[in-house]
Amino acid sequence: MPFSLIAKNLFKHPLRALLTAASLAVALFLLCVLRSLVVALDVGVRNAAANRLIVQSSTSLFVYLPEAYEAKLASIEGVQNVCKWNWFGGYYQDPKNFFAQFATDPEALLAMYPEIEIVSGSREEFLKERQACLLGEGTAEKYGFKVGDNFPLIGALFQRTDGEPWSFKVAAIYRSKKSSVDNNTLFFNYEYLHKTIDAGQAGGPQGVGIFVLELAPGADRVQVASAVDALFEGGPQRTQTATEAEFNAQFVSMIGNVPLFVTSIGGGVMIAILLATLNTMLMAAREQTRDVGVLKALGFSDGSVFGLLLSQSLLLCIAGGGAGIALAVLSGPGMAIKLGTMFPGYEVTKGTIMQAAILTIAIGFFAGITPALRARGMSVISALRSNA
Amino acid sequence: MALVPISYNLRSLFVRRSATLLTVLGIGATVAVVSGVLALEQGFSTLFTDSGRDDVAIFLRQGATNEGDSSFTRERAEILMKTLPEIASDSAGQRLVSAECYLAVRRNKVSGAGETNVPVRGVQPPTFLVYGDDIRIGAGRNFTPGTDEVIVGRKLVDRVEHCELGDTITFNTTPFRVVGIFDNAGPFASEIWGDRDRLSEALERPVFNRIVARLVPGTEIGFTPTWASTDGKEHLDGLSARLDKDVQVPCRVMTERQYLTGQTQALSTVLKILGSFLALVMGVAAVFTATNTMLAALAARTSEIGILTSLGFRPLAIFSSFMLEALLLGLCGGIVGCLFALPLNGVRTGTMNFQTFTEVAFAFRLTPHVLIRAVGFSLVLGLLGGAWPALRAAAMSPTRAMRRE
Repeated sequence: MPFSLIAKNLFKHPLRALLTAASLAVALFLLCVLRSLVVALDVGVRNAAANRLIVQSSTSLFVYLPEAYEAKLASIEGVQNVCKWNWFGGYYQDPKNFFAQFATDPEALLAMYPEIEIVSGSREEFLKERQACLLGEGTAEKYGFKVGDNFPLIGALFQRTDGEPWSFKVAAIYRSKKSSVDNNTLFFNYEYLHKTIDAGQAGGPQGVGIFVLELAPGADRVQVASAVDALFEGGPQRTQTATEAEFNAQFVSMIGNVPLFVTSIGGGVMIAILLATLNTMLMAAREQTRDVGVLKALGFSDGSVFGLLLSQSLLLCIAGGGAGIALAVLSGPGMAIKLGTMFPGYEVTKGTIMQAAILTIAIGFFAGITPALRARGMSVISALRSNA
Repeated sequence: MALVPISYNLRSLFVRRSATLLTVLGIGATVAVVSGVLALEQGFSTLFTDSGRDDVAIFLRQGATNEGDSSFTRERAEILMKTLPEIASDSAGQRLVSAECYLAVRRNKVSGAGETNVPVRGVQPPTFLVYGDDIRIGAGRNFTPGTDEVIVGRKLVDRVEHCELGDTITFNTTPFRVVGIFDNAGPFASEIWGDRDRLSEALERPVFNRIVARLVPGTEIGFTPTWASTDGKEHLDGLSARLDKDVQVPCRVMTERQYLTGQTQALSTVLKILGSFLALVMGVAAVFTATNTMLAALAARTSEIGILTSLGFRPLAIFSSFMLEALLLGLCGGIVGCLFALPLNGVRTGTMNFQTFTEVAFAFRLTPHVLIRAVGFSLVLGLLGGAWPALRAAAMSPTRAMRRE
């Protein structure tokens, strides 16, 4: 069966072919985006580091641990390094300008997170200066902050008694080499926060949000985790020590039914597009009934007539679906920036592309098979007699 | 002007029934997905907005948008509760005001499906006077003030571990006993309540989170939140303006309904954006399908259109006839879509309230409002899908049409 015949039949109604291909493109684009959102949800789980443990309160996300825990944690066997993380919860000028900020120990942070790569500015200044901060590339770009700039953050959780915003200086800008750390976070010195509160110049929760532990090479993480939790069993605050993956997974689990919800939407989209393609192929097949009779009368086999109709469907779907997938891939980096704070790991992965491609071919197959089977089984006489 | 009879369209849809069916189902799937998202948004916001009372006032720290962020020291709370003249009293002379403490605690879900954050609220006896009939003990009894007992909201019972009557819940190192299950139409049904001072000690929360009160009838709170004001800014008037500038205890005050509606804004916005995005993208695909179907109908009936025009039907009549047919397709699709989505009605689900990181259980609600919007959407799809084929039909010349050119 010559390819030109397939193409000619397909584009006999250019508008119809175009509309169907465009619907397919739109649907496949949407499916890729939805799939990427689900993938983005647990990117933090998949890319978590195996040698880091998180110590948090077993009571609540919002309960702080005593600072005195730091020294006790450092003395546990198998713990190589301890780093404090405190959620700061500030915003730049307007609550809408939100990005994550953490008060932390600069030296331990840089030692424990090799994926944080400083791309400009000075590491020394970040370690040394009190108001210095290390800013993610994404946030720096978004607000146009450069190394050496000073900028204010309004503390919603930690309010200064004088009512003024907190002041920060960009000491360095980082890029993350792995998605276990995103590109939008601000890190600053825990001492800045702590000393300001101690001096009575600011109010807010006392203590440490979480401690991150780095395991010594060869240390058993289950053993260390149970040692930590056993140490604080009697209070004052019980702890729950988890691997980085488990810690990230708890946030995914809190979001609840979102993956199921998104999958149902995807199912609806698929049904709609399958019906649309089937509709087009049935119309095309009906118009080609007489051609089928002619082909058969000329001696073309049932199989080649079957192939003629099925390949039209497949070709149409590959063209449309391919365009949709390409659109999703091309728009990926742009979408990732737009969704930065909510879905930091948005990426159209190879797996997503593969799934979408398989789906495209499946739609083409199912939409083409019915008319193709009908054409194959049709007798020459009845095909020629048809009046479409 | 003579119109083409509607029976002509009905017959035409019936003759081409496989194409009609596929189009209707395609539009139906689109409408079903969009109304599912709308029903989710509706269920979530109804739970919050409809259960909020206009006669209960909520006091928060300045700058706080939710009770998790808000805090009052004991002294400040006492001053406000004792001195504010607008606070109402009941017939026994009891002031209808109470300071609550609040914390989202980590709990395991029953299904073994991981953890969730459950709000724990420490309350005092006057709290029950403030909320009145909204809180009803459905099983067991209320907790005894001053003891380590709690009551649990109905929606938690089969979702979260240790929430059955008689169970023990441990907060940090202190065990509490579940002595009652309470019912509430709003988000309280997903919370655990107990004695404020016992909970605040067990959880080491020395400060209170918010103050709730019934106000003297006729008090004007005068708070206009950003989402309800025309210029997108917050406006203060009456009591709220006075308390904003108060020297001793500056604070924010709003009605419970305003507070709860404010809590849903983030998730509602996300769902509305998602709904619109899906409606747009899937709508485009559905319009293309409808156009294809109508173009095929047009091609099959070219000679008939020639006959109609030569009989004296005006192009406008032909145009309306085709539009009507497309609208019928859309309408059927809309109805089918609503039927697809209908089983969702009442299905319970849970999601995280992004503002407080807590889980809220609620049900999908396919209200008449949602259904009307869904059908309206399907009509728009039909209208857009039919426009181009209808224009082409109307522009045909009788002779050429009859010759099927």
